Amino acid sequence: MKRLLAGLALSVLAAMPALCLLAPVPAQAANIQNVDLGKNAEVWFAEDHTVPIISINISLPGGSAYDPAGKAGLANFAASMMDEGAGGLDSKAFHEALANRAISFSARAERDYVVIGITTLKENAPEAMHLLQLALTRPRFESEALTRVRAQIIQSLEQDQAEPPRVASRAFMRDFFGDHAYAHPVSGEIGSVSSVTAVDLRNFAHGHWTKYGLKVAVAGDITAPQLARLLGETFLPVSGAAPPTLPNVGRLGAPGVHLVPLPVPQPSVYFGLPGIMRHDPDFIPGYVANYVLGGGGFSSRLMDEVRVKRGLTYGISTSLTSLNKASVMAGSVATRADAVHQTIQVVKDTLAEFAANGPTQQELDDAKTYLTGSFPLAFASNSGTASQLGTFQRQNLDIGYVARRNSLIEAVTLADAKRVSKRLFDPARLTVVIGGSPAEARGPQIPVPLPPGNPPQPAPPPAGAATAQAPGVASQGAMPEPKPANKPLAGPVTTPKAAKKP
Amino acid sequence: MAVAPPAGLAAPATSADRAKLSAPAPVNPRQTGNNTFQFALGNGMQVLVIPDHRAPVATQMLWFRVGAVDDPPGLSGMAHFFEHMMFRGTKQVPDDAFSQIVAKNGGEDNAFTDHDYTAFYEEIAKDRLPLAMKLEADRLANLDLSDSHVGPERDVVLEERRMRVDNQPQSLMNEQMMAALHLSHPYGRPVIGWTDEVRRIDRASAQDFYDHHYAPNNAILVIAGDVTPDEVRKMAQDAYGKVPARELAPRAEFAEPPRLAETRMVITRADAKVPLLDRIYRVPSYAQGMPGQAEGLETFAQLLGGDQTSLLYRVLVEQKKLATDAGANYDGDVRDAGEFSVYAVPRPGVSLEALEKAVDQVLSVSTIALPGDADLNRAKTQLVAGVIYRRDSQFALASAYGQALAIGLTVDDVNEWPARIKTVSAEGVRKAAQMLQRRQAVTAYLVPGSDK
Repeated sequence: MKRLLAGLALSVLAAMPALCLLAPVPAQAANIQNVDLGKNAEVWFAEDHTVPIISINISLPGGSAYDPAGKAGLANFAASMMDEGAGGLDSKAFHEALANRAISFSARAERDYVVIGITTLKENAPEAMHLLQLALTRPRFESEALTRVRAQIIQSLEQDQAEPPRVASRAFMRDFFGDHAYAHPVSGEIGSVSSVTAVDLRNFAHGHWTKYGLKVAVAGDITAPQLARLLGETFLPVSGAAPPTLPNVGRLGAPGVHLVPLPVPQPSVYFGLPGIMRHDPDFIPGYVANYVLGGGGFSSRLMDEVRVKRGLTYGISTSLTSLNKASVMAGSVATRADAVHQTIQVVKDTLAEFAANGPTQQELDDAKTYLTGSFPLAFASNSGTASQLGTFQRQNLDIGYVARRNSLIEAVTLADAKRVSKRLFDPARLTVVIGGSPAEARGPQIPVPLPPGNPPQPAPPPAGAATAQAPGVASQGAMPEPKPANKPLAGPVTTPKAAKKP
Repeated sequence: MAVAPPAGLAAPATSADRAKLSAPAPVNPRQTGNNTFQFALGNGMQVLVIPDHRAPVATQMLWFRVGAVDDPPGLSGMAHFFEHMMFRGTKQVPDDAFSQIVAKNGGEDNAFTDHDYTAFYEEIAKDRLPLAMKLEADRLANLDLSDSHVGPERDVVLEERRMRVDNQPQSLMNEQMMAALHLSHPYGRPVIGWTDEVRRIDRASAQDFYDHHYAPNNAILVIAGDVTPDEVRKMAQDAYGKVPARELAPRAEFAEPPRLAETRMVITRADAKVPLLDRIYRVPSYAQGMPGQAEGLETFAQLLGGDQTSLLYRVLVEQKKLATDAGANYDGDVRDAGEFSVYAVPRPGVSLEALEKAVDQVLSVSTIALPGDADLNRAKTQLVAGVIYRRDSQFALASAYGQALAIGLTVDDVNEWPARIKTVSAEGVRKAAQMLQRRQAVTAYLVPGSDK
């Protein structure tokens, strides 16, 4: 079979340039430039006039890790309130001002940052940025909007309690991070969200919606001087106060299998290990190794063992995610109730083998050609470019990284990948959480302690670990999504489009 | 998967469309819009090219005019299952080598299935586009279905069903509603299939499905990206030209009987933690409707429940404080009947009955009062801007055109859609509201509680 495969590759590829000779840098990457917005703020800009659209991705140091004690979910609540009225505009007027010009405006909290996404037609950019300025500097936090948004968040938290992936990932984060600020769910707990007041929101916005540490990524139909003027005006009245720093984390992980019972046909399993920090030279080798193990859709070892060979799941993936104060290698898989323990065993065996031997030379080469060759896909649209640049900014990378990135991946040797695999994928240290009730009981299981007075609170996946998303935390919005049945049915791999590149 | 709305007033797509495919078509690319070019291969494959030179990448989508409506009786889920099998190998590209080769070459690949169509795609560096085409052509002609692949893949699909449907009370309810809404049309069968019928799919039935539906004369190739129409013509001829046309199974036509009464259902589930009111109306689609009807419904859906400035949100959520969320949606991009849906989530303590009454009041007012200019203009602005935003994404563009062609509409239908939306009048919106007849609808309550 392999022989035939090689035959095809030859016949098809013979007429084409050698496999690894893709341009290491996308066309746009060369055009990414800095725009000055004063000290402590950073703006990256990719100019493109093909489509009359501007996409903007803004990161502020106001993620859920800054939630005060007892107010878990405050950062997310504040982000959800960002388009609910500011300055002279109440909630209704603010929404209409956006909708009248078809300006797309969204804000979501991650663990380190609050991330604002704006997409606008070129001619509406001044109005879009004016509304952003109002939202950041003069939020109203009126009681009608506050009550409504609170009810939406709480309903969403209630529904999460019945969703195995949420239940498992929330419990995982709590167990894995212990008492650090990364442990609690981004969207909080029902009790803590119930206690949030307008004063809490105002204080949080005042302390965290600041241009100290501001990161802005822009792509699209505007020139650098126009953008500099627009951003300068927009952020002029925004506070420049320094936000508090986050504490360092202590020991990571709670090895063992933990169970959160839930009567569902398909339990979810969330598992993870301490990762590698973004600034550590081993991060890139670790990222490449993780691609081989579980990051690469159909190409990954775990997908092959769990789905292709055994039909145990629709999808399994792992990701290496570095937050500002900690890193985690996490994965998720869902399977029928009577196959949970079998699936966990296959995952552990696959990890053990991989830790011992690492990838093969062929796997490493294939990972490199994918990771470098697919990089330009992230820059094929304004929204994709802004979002990818924003992801790099939140990882505290410099603007030159965009041009350097593929050569760093090319430089990973087999010895690097083997060494890092040993460091990363030790199954003995694995923290495993089952959300759901396995049909056959086997192996030691530790019941997960519940927070006092609250049922288990499912969390958004910590770092898009259930997805193929790379570093940069993805969290779910707070709005319930009662829209019925998505169609068409996507398949056969769950890998989302537009996965972020490391 | 978000597919932006295309549009059209074309005659309903029928089995006659398939016959048309084998008719001679222009060999050289012909410009059919501002930035679209079309031609056909000798074997009947239709090709559409959408140049976009911003990055050295391209998106290939191969659409087939086959979907869940073509599932054989008793084997619901076949079209979707078969989409999975297309990733299970040929003699030359065995097992799951297809996706591995794409990945090795820096590409992303996947596929999706709906009632009317099945589509496969790759996003890849432009110099790898010939490779992606050869891979698609290979599995179009040489799929190797073996029992050792069918068994595990069937289990994978059942896991997919558990994840998307069985674990999701809202999806389960939607499935029941669709089954009740369409009295005999296969739109009432879930695309993913009923569990016990998926279990019955075997190698022989899959082979039969492949033989009768997967052929170049049943396919539409869409290429968006850093390419020229002439380049694509050469590449496509080289990759797909040798695949012979095949006799196709005639596509069944369904005459849906009239609905004489509203269907109502209450679904009680322990895994539902939040109640939900949902209603789906059977309405005309772009393909079936009289001129302007679908555009009216599209605009009304936006006005009624497209976002937080919409009527339902304003009245139910903000003013009356009966709901935490409410909205509406129109799906008219189908070959047969379209669907118009309305939903609302009650605030704690509000009954679904009270909520439904309030929804009906909003709908009832819409059948009498004309929408205000500001609201109408805002709805139209958003719909039209959506088309400009779509131009930012090769994937969204290729999806919009591919879907339109797959359901029997034309490139012109897609290109003229914004202009037609702009002409929708206040009276057109009121007429759309009047088309929502309760006897053409299924209304469902999702109620948290013991389902034992």
